[in-house]
Amino acid sequence: MKIIVAIKQVPERDAPVCIDAAGKWIEESDLQFAMNESDAHALEEALQLKEKHGGEVIVLSAGPERVATTIREALAKGADRAIHIICDDLQKRDALGLARLLAATAKSENPDLVLTGLQSEDLGFGQTGVILAELLGLPHATLILHIEKTDSGIEVKRELEEGWFQNIQLPLPAVVTMQSGGNKLRYATLMGIKRAKTKELRQIPAIELGVASEPTVLLEKISWPQKQKATQMITGSAKDAAATLVAKLKTEVHVL
Amino acid sequence: MMLMLPTLAEPQHFSSLEKLLLAILVAGSIYVFWLRFSIVLGKILNSKNDADFHLFPIGPRIRDFFSEVLLQSKVIGQRPAAGVAHALVFWAFCAFAIVTLNHCLSPFGLGFLSPSGFVGRIYFEIAAVFAAACAFGIAGLFVRRFFVRPKWLGEKLSWESGLIALLIFLLMTTYLGAFFTADASPATRALWWIHTLALFVFLPIIPNTKHLHLVLSPFTIFLSRGGFSQIPPLAGDEDFGLIAGTDLTQLVSLQAYSCVECGRCTEHCPANNTGKILNPKQIVLGVRAYLKDLGPASAEPLLGKYNSQEAAFQCTTCGACEFQCPVGIEHLPILIGLRRGAVNTGTWDDDYGARLFLGLERGSNALGLSPSERDKFIARQQLPSFDGTQEYCLWLGCMGGYDPKGREIVADLARVMNFLGVTFGVLRKEKCTGDPVRRLGNDLLFQQLAEENLASLAENKVKKIITICPHCVRTIQEDWKEFGTPPPIEHHSEFLARHLPQLPPVKDHDKIVFHDPCYLGRYRNVYDQPRAVAALAGRLVEAERNHERSFCCGAGGGLTFLGEETGQRISQVRAAELVATGATTIAAACPFCNSMLRDALATDEHAPELVDIAQIAARRLP
Repeated sequence: MKIIVAIKQVPERDAPVCIDAAGKWIEESDLQFAMNESDAHALEEALQLKEKHGGEVIVLSAGPERVATTIREALAKGADRAIHIICDDLQKRDALGLARLLAATAKSENPDLVLTGLQSEDLGFGQTGVILAELLGLPHATLILHIEKTDSGIEVKRELEEGWFQNIQLPLPAVVTMQSGGNKLRYATLMGIKRAKTKELRQIPAIELGVASEPTVLLEKISWPQKQKATQMITGSAKDAAATLVAKLKTEVHVL
Repeated sequence: MMLMLPTLAEPQHFSSLEKLLLAILVAGSIYVFWLRFSIVLGKILNSKNDADFHLFPIGPRIRDFFSEVLLQSKVIGQRPAAGVAHALVFWAFCAFAIVTLNHCLSPFGLGFLSPSGFVGRIYFEIAAVFAAACAFGIAGLFVRRFFVRPKWLGEKLSWESGLIALLIFLLMTTYLGAFFTADASPATRALWWIHTLALFVFLPIIPNTKHLHLVLSPFTIFLSRGGFSQIPPLAGDEDFGLIAGTDLTQLVSLQAYSCVECGRCTEHCPANNTGKILNPKQIVLGVRAYLKDLGPASAEPLLGKYNSQEAAFQCTTCGACEFQCPVGIEHLPILIGLRRGAVNTGTWDDDYGARLFLGLERGSNALGLSPSERDKFIARQQLPSFDGTQEYCLWLGCMGGYDPKGREIVADLARVMNFLGVTFGVLRKEKCTGDPVRRLGNDLLFQQLAEENLASLAENKVKKIITICPHCVRTIQEDWKEFGTPPPIEHHSEFLARHLPQLPPVKDHDKIVFHDPCYLGRYRNVYDQPRAVAALAGRLVEAERNHERSFCCGAGGGLTFLGEETGQRISQVRAAELVATGATTIAAACPFCNSMLRDALATDEHAPELVDIAQIAARRLP
């Protein structure tokens, strides 16, 4: 099975973000970047499918030079080769613009399966994967936790609300957007990084793909969310505090 | 006086048949010894080179050899009764080398010492004293092994140990017996021959048994890596740690063959003592069995049939094993080497471990919290930023920056430093030193963290570091050396002890027990300074295991991040030991120990108060 995994590099989850002078994006100069989490799960699913059924995993990502570190991380974790669409204006492109770049590249690879995360942690459109399917003319499924290969195609486990799941059959080729948490992620290893050095990383300037770069959706302004403080301090002896905590987790937070 | 002493009787004449028999015996025995020993030697020499081995500086090597081999300091110091018995045997063997050489040469008229000569007579008398001591010592060791049977010697009785003890006993008593017979008597001749036979039966047994330590351990001690838990750098692009025989280095192989199976490592191992499967002696013997069966060229994995991965990951890296070992085996580079092999190739599959690694790949601290939490703490405590003008960079570490108790310790240390007028500042950004990932064998992450931190220290022009965490101290000072030159760092106990005269002299009357952190004691040899600070609060008492024999809290080696232990919790065993001293205060000097002991004491309503030594010092301030 030939699988393309589209990944995005986003600011590290704990990164201290600041809004830039124009108020339209965040200040990137002092930030550290990482792989978008649901994309990391898409990669993990792809690697597991490859380990079970053989084939090839190709990582596809668009963004500036710095994205190469995240691509290399994906290669280190086991992807076979990578394609990097070089573009410095990613935040100005909307989901359609990005999907056009990805589709133009993915098409020439004729993949059996295209995986990506269900949404990015920075813009959070949740549309790139779906539009990509449309542009490639392929069936798609969203919010997927697991993929099983069947004789006719794939069966996917889809997460619904309130702990419900849905199992769907899809023919191949198809596009699937993955939900976080279905698999345990693998950690990067020294051996992986060393092996990754010899793997192919093809760079394509976005301009060569000949797709429209004018956005159809404009980002007007970004702002901080309203602050809410709901911290409760539990006091008393360890025994009493533990009992209070358990009670609160049961009755107020409903996680137990 | 000397004339009254009996003299050694020797047969005066040997027949040609006797000479022939002796010659065959000597040649045969040496031949069989060499046949067996050369196999061992071949396996050691055919192992991979130790890329980082340097013979120089040779001074510490000579010192260790003198102290640990010749004076038997560690053998005696850590297990006095058995140690003295062993030393008596060892010294007798040294004294006997010349006696034995003379013994074998004299039938051929080549003897160089004679009981009738002045030098010979004195030497034989001295050797007799050693022989008596040795016979006494070996008898004691025999009784211990076969009747007292301490559990760390192993469940199975070793018949070969019995045979060796018997042979040594025979060697000594036949020598001593000859002081009470006449030269010409048949008894002298019989004693002479029994002595000779015992000697040449003994020799070929050596290479195939743990008595190989007689030959190898002086070399093992002399050639050790030096330092404590010295983890060798990976050599080249294909080195990922100890995966297969081809990764075993000459030092590791030499050490594996040197093991004398005394079990001191296991006796002191916190994992083994709390019902876990890790047995450091078995780890070493596992490597030896691998070498015996498969050799150093094998690609078979080291973890599997010969050693267990589960065991390797139960090690807290407390270093009690390495510290105790009397024959110079360095357990930690082996244990961590096995972990490196598993982690660097991704074969170690552990939910908690993966979470720790993924957290540090993306984040900055081992606790998985947002760096903004550290910023908030710094702002709240009004800790000054390091700007290059202050004397110290106060390194917070993950515990100091994020853990509630660790923060209290940092705040109190800052108060004391302010009182003393010592300037300090904290870095705006700080990452985990990489201690847990280093000990768990993740070289990729460790290198990244070390390099990023080294760059940030250089950028901030840091000249001196102080920290509350012994793990940070060790990792920054020793482990980072592989990637750069870290500034000198000291633990707050060293700083506080030096400034004790400047602190207000209020003495309290608590009864205090100090818990030695492994990474401060065994790793850094700092025992007295934290005690001096703790003694500000009153009278010090010692736990049953203290100083270099201190028992781990269970946190080290990344284990604090790996979820629930099997068997008993190490922290609870240690906490109970500290409580049993009747102390009203437990003084700790490591935020990890503090956190482990805090949890272990949480269920005890009448538990003593647990404080860090910085808090003891801070309470004395006006």
